[in-house]
Amino acid sequence: MNGFALLSLYRSLTRHRVYAALNVGGLAIGIATIIVLGLYVRFETGFERWLPGHDKVYLVQTNVRAPDQPFSGRHHWTMGGLLEQLREDFPGIVGTRIEPVSASVMENGVAASEKLKRVDPSFFDIFALPMVAGTGRGALADPANLLVSRSIAERYFGTAEAVGQSMTVSIEGETRLLRIAGVFEDLPPSSELDFTMLSRLPDDVDSPWWRNWGSTSVQTFLRFAGPEDAARFESGTDAFVDKRALSAYGEQASKQIGINLLPIADMHLTPQGREPDSRRQTVTTLGIVGALTLLIAIVNYVNLATARAALRAREVAMRKVMGADRGALIRQFLGEAIGTAALAGLVGLALVELALPFVNAAGGLTLTLTYFGAQGVILPLALLALVIGVVAGAYPAFMLSRFPAASVLASAKAPGGGQAGTRLRQALVAAQFALAIAFMIGTGVLFAQVQHLRSADIGFDREGLLLIRSMSWAEDEAQRRAIVARMAAIPSVRSVALSDSVPGGSGTNNVDTFKKDGSPPLSMRRVAIGPEFFETYGARLLAGRFLGDEFASDDVTDREFEEPRNVVINTLLLRALGYKDPAEAIGQQVGRGAPPRTIVGVVNDMRFLSPREPIDPTYYTYYRDPRYGPLTLRFTGDPKATTDAAREAWISVAGELPFEAQTGVESLREQYAEDERAARLFAIGAGLAVLIGMVGLWGLASFNTARRVREIGIRKALGATRGDIVRLLVRQFLQPVVLANLIAWPLAWAAMRRWLAGFDDPIALSPLYFLGAGLLAALIAGLTVLGQSLRAARATPAWALRHD
Amino acid sequence: MIELQAIERRYRSDEVETTALAGIDLAIAEGEFVAIMGPSGCGKSTLLNTLGTIDRPTSGQYLFGGRDLAQLPESDLAQFRAASLGFVFQSFNLIDELTIEENVALGLAYRKDVSDRKARVAAAMDRIGIAHRARHFPHQLSGGQQQRAAIARAIVGDPKLILADEPTGNLDTANGEQVMNILTTLNDSGSTIVMVTHSPSHADMAKRRIDMLDGRIVASAMRAL
Ligand SMILES: Nc1ncnc2c1ncn2[C@@H]1O[C@H](COP(=O)(O)OP(=O)(O)OP(=O)(O)O)[C@@H](O)[C@H]1O
Ligand SMILES: [Mg+2]
Repeated sequence: MNGFALLSLYRSLTRHRVYAALNVGGLAIGIATIIVLGLYVRFETGFERWLPGHDKVYLVQTNVRAPDQPFSGRHHWTMGGLLEQLREDFPGIVGTRIEPVSASVMENGVAASEKLKRVDPSFFDIFALPMVAGTGRGALADPANLLVSRSIAERYFGTAEAVGQSMTVSIEGETRLLRIAGVFEDLPPSSELDFTMLSRLPDDVDSPWWRNWGSTSVQTFLRFAGPEDAARFESGTDAFVDKRALSAYGEQASKQIGINLLPIADMHLTPQGREPDSRRQTVTTLGIVGALTLLIAIVNYVNLATARAALRAREVAMRKVMGADRGALIRQFLGEAIGTAALAGLVGLALVELALPFVNAAGGLTLTLTYFGAQGVILPLALLALVIGVVAGAYPAFMLSRFPAASVLASAKAPGGGQAGTRLRQALVAAQFALAIAFMIGTGVLFAQVQHLRSADIGFDREGLLLIRSMSWAEDEAQRRAIVARMAAIPSVRSVALSDSVPGGSGTNNVDTFKKDGSPPLSMRRVAIGPEFFETYGARLLAGRFLGDEFASDDVTDREFEEPRNVVINTLLLRALGYKDPAEAIGQQVGRGAPPRTIVGVVNDMRFLSPREPIDPTYYTYYRDPRYGPLTLRFTGDPKATTDAAREAWISVAGELPFEAQTGVESLREQYAEDERAARLFAIGAGLAVLIGMVGLWGLASFNTARRVREIGIRKALGATRGDIVRLLVRQFLQPVVLANLIAWPLAWAAMRRWLAGFDDPIALSPLYFLGAGLLAALIAGLTVLGQSLRAARATPAWALRHD
Repeated sequence: MIELQAIERRYRSDEVETTALAGIDLAIAEGEFVAIMGPSGCGKSTLLNTLGTIDRPTSGQYLFGGRDLAQLPESDLAQFRAASLGFVFQSFNLIDELTIEENVALGLAYRKDVSDRKARVAAAMDRIGIAHRARHFPHQLSGGQQQRAAIARAIVGDPKLILADEPTGNLDTANGEQVMNILTTLNDSGSTIVMVTHSPSHADMAKRRIDMLDGRIVASAMRAL
């Protein structure tokens, strides 16, 4: 580009300021949107890729192959002893386990819970964590050693050089003095490993669960030289399972349970069990939203640029008359277009920097923009600007410069603005409004569903519940009783209950499967509850009675699994057993090969787990004095006051254990958080798409109105009123909006139906969302065009007719 | 029918003020055929636009059939134009996207009181002799044909007054003659016509001739019969 071209670019931008601002601004917003959403997509799809040699590392999944059971599907967890058995049967295999444990660091008598995980000494053969100080590899051979992250080292010792220091750590209730052998770099945000401390996994775990097939207590990772080795290993796992799970599952155990490999980089987006594939869907959707928003912006930009160029046909003809050759004209137009697109790119970058803090806040993310290098944004952006510039500049550059000057100057009307051009532009307006409407419908449905999750009837009263999860760590019976007594004595607390299952999950999941004489197997959750559980949660009794101390035979503390029990069931189990009326089931057995289980009560279904998972058929058994599981308080008044009182009570009797509590609302909110975040990001993308659509429509409307100034003059001379003119112009733009609705509705309907199918309790896809979005789009289009039309309609016809 | 009293029209741009009409007094009776002549820039078009109410005078009184138009709101003026006026322009001013028939129909588009529009459009096109081009678009017609279509549009609503600003300005001699003949015929059958022209011979075909200079009427003469 020479100096003259720059000057002419500057002139063309400053001469039509509003037009230039809209055109550059619209494209800049589109570019900013794709950059932000692109950063998000790259973040979500880039998990564990920071790990050196991540492509060789695989997660072992437990695959419950029996369909339609609470645990059907592939899980990211395995039984504890799996790696030992793999080592025996697949000599030379390289792997490690990662076991999350409850752990706290004791400092001055106060316990602070930390994310400690226990791993095999071979951990560093698979996870070559970058070290800040000391050694990682080899250090874990010694059970007295501890590895900590940089931020832990800095927090407890004020320096990253904490090697050689000691820490008092309580692991699973056992307090020990451990020596720091090394400090590793903090894990990046794009990691699911989620630990700040590592210690050695003991060799001699004697829990019966450790070698129980189907149990899920650790994550097992393996390393293979390449994908072929991994595939070879995977093909041998069925035989391995048949042999090793024979005692638990009988012949052909691999028909019911298996193990599979998952590349560690896929772990983050891969759903577990019966979870829908929602995370990957969200990432794909937001990626598409970004791409479409950019597409709309480009279409608008090109559309406006060529529309305006058509108005310049006369200028081009005059330049040719005065001796400009085609080459010079082509260079001028292409240079202008590329320069403008590049400017839009720069503005877009500035917008990204401004917007990232807000997007990060809205999405709970930590996205950052890198400019240079392999991950840098500059190079792709420059290419994008070049492509957009060439596309936008091609029409004026090659078409206009080819028009014979004489005919352009002789003709009364501008070339390129004829019927075909108008049709094409209307079609483009319709297409982008269709996208905008589909986005609006999507946003409406997303927010409605998320709102519904927050307020839907989940079978219990979510307000006024405090879940004290740290109760699971208290193992001493006297201490447990003391804690319960202190909590119950808090004035705002109405009742307290122990159970092995709480809203948001407790880590404990018991599923019983019964079948008899070829009857189809029936799987159900077994929940252990203590006194006042149903009262505390506010469950509704549909028939029979609750469980309690007043019925001597309810307590199952000293009974074997096979011995008779009184149970309360939920309505889903009632249905699964074939009863219609709750009263029918009272006194009946659960049956189908189950040990004696007498139904004494029926309660409504309570949703403790994610709204994306179905509620399971459940039966409750009663323990007079449960020895494990979290504690739930039912309180009145301010949650914070009760939480503070509960913490105080906790410290007075269990100060050596960290206190961890959450209100029921908070715990449930975690389950909705991901969907809420996705909804917000989607809304941002959709809002910007609509905004860009408006900019484009405004530009086109002003172009069109300018082109029709003379026609408006004629019509007014013929007696058209201002209202007639406004109606005429607005109607012209409402037509594509109506067409846009016809395109958008089926698209949005199909997409949202699919998304809602991922919820166990979806809202109905009411026509109101569609009508609402359509009306909103029409309103936006109408208002956008109205301003222009009013101005055009107000001009005196004499003026308009003079402007030919 | 028409009475202009002390009509002034001034254009104000940033610094300069142009006086296009500097006090016009003019009366036009029903059935007249008036030709306005004068050098370029003397205010002919401005006067015609004022008569057509598509330009508002800065001051003065405009009575049409006894009604003071200068006081009417814009919407009433639009109604007045639709019902009482027909325009013919030098550059035809047909709408490119509409066919000739649709352009002619436009002359009735803003009339609320009209029935059998189709028939009236057909009759107007017949009368002017362009019915055979009804389905064509303006750019497919010669200048003369386009101007005849424009006249058809002007008369389709039976206006009380036809205003023509240099209707022959863009036409060759033969086509110009044809347009003038149409206008004369229309006048003969009762239409009142005010026409701006630069051609003395066309001016002679009118019944009355007005000469303008610098925004004023300097002469007004009836054609000797
Ligand atoms: N919109 C406007 N703004 C400023 N001045 C104007 C405007 N319209 C007309 N004028 C001025 O008013 C004067 C009369 O213009 P008008 O168009 O009536 O002339 P005319 O007699 O029709 O000329 P011609 O024969 O060239 O068509 C001219 O000096 C013109 O420059
Ligand atoms: Mg004129």
